[in-house]
Amino acid sequence: MDLTLAQGIVKASALLGAGLCMGMGALGPGVGEGFVAGKACEGIARSPENASLITRTMLVGQAVSESTGIYSLVIALLLIFST
Amino acid sequence: MAKKKKPMLKIFLVFFMIEIILVFLSGNFTRQLQIGFENKRFVLRNIEFHYDLQEKITEEFQIDEYHRQKSIAPNVYGSEKIYDLFKRIFGAPTALGTFQLLRMILIVDIVLLFMALYIRKHLLARPSKSQLIFELIYTSLEEFVTETLGKEKANYTPYIVTLFIFIWACNMIGMIPIPGFMEPTRNLNVPLGLGFMVVIIVHFTAIKAKGAWKHIQNYINPVKNPLFLLDIVGEMSKVVSISFRLFGNILGGAIIILVVSSLVSFVVFPVGLNLFFGIFVGTIQAFVFTMLALTYIGVEISE
Repeated sequence: MDLTLAQGIVKASALLGAGLCMGMGALGPGVGEGFVAGKACEGIARSPENASLITRTMLVGQAVSESTGIYSLVIALLLIFST
Repeated sequence: MAKKKKPMLKIFLVFFMIEIILVFLSGNFTRQLQIGFENKRFVLRNIEFHYDLQEKITEEFQIDEYHRQKSIAPNVYGSEKIYDLFKRIFGAPTALGTFQLLRMILIVDIVLLFMALYIRKHLLARPSKSQLIFELIYTSLEEFVTETLGKEKANYTPYIVTLFIFIWACNMIGMIPIPGFMEPTRNLNVPLGLGFMVVIIVHFTAIKAKGAWKHIQNYINPVKNPLFLLDIVGEMSKVVSISFRLFGNILGGAIIILVVSSLVSFVVFPVGLNLFFGIFVGTIQAFVFTMLALTYIGVEISE
């Protein structure tokens, strides 16, 4: 494909923005999910009979806290594919 | 079990080994073993094919864009005849993605409908296996509903169970390896519609529980609720957050499967990726969507 200079600059900055967006957006969910998993480990160690309930709650909580990372993924995909 | 012979598995393994050897012999990953019928003759050969990741992603995820660039029908309808039929009925093909979405939703609906009719016809006092599975889903979700909303509000159970089974079936149907099969939840319209439905039901519940005037006052009366503007924005963000979570997870999983399996030239990786991104993430997201809908309803009832 042939791009003019302006189109090339727009495309390049969109790709750069997508990379930055994904990298920074994955920081928060990574820290949060790790924190939740650590707390769940502590809970299971303290009361092993509640392991299934704790695991289920942990998975749901992680899926909810993952959503900010998912938003940044959507924005990164928009930047890559719609410019 | 171990002594039982499995001829299909052996044949599959032999072809698999041949393909791996050919891939490594050919030196680069642009060759592929072609097995099948061509002009009514059986062919088995090593072909070189042009492979462009960007093109593939465009064909898979932006069908209309692909059609505009290439002006040929994308390989998602199985045969050219179905595509021609679409073209004759609907005119210019600018909404291929919508056709695909509608077709997938219809398939999901028909599967669920036939399953429901079949199980209803064969209801037994001593349940069969398929009946047991559905009874398990129903009773476990009913337990969640009665925990969150209370015993007297158990009539929300059918809605919750339908939501779960529909989203789960939508996420699972992408596993079937037929060209053009995709998860309907990969398109933003389906999760957005489900999210709007959830919010409408939440407000309907609140009006039923508290009365219409008392509920509307929350959003227009600055004396009673000083942060009423924030509440209006919050209602909007409910729809956005609940639908974008489902959409982003399914779409991101699909794109990751496509990209990684193109990197390994479709040899072995997609099975494991489908296990994680298809089955695990699909089930978890269906469950999360259902639980969030239940929580939104529960907040309005408990006030």
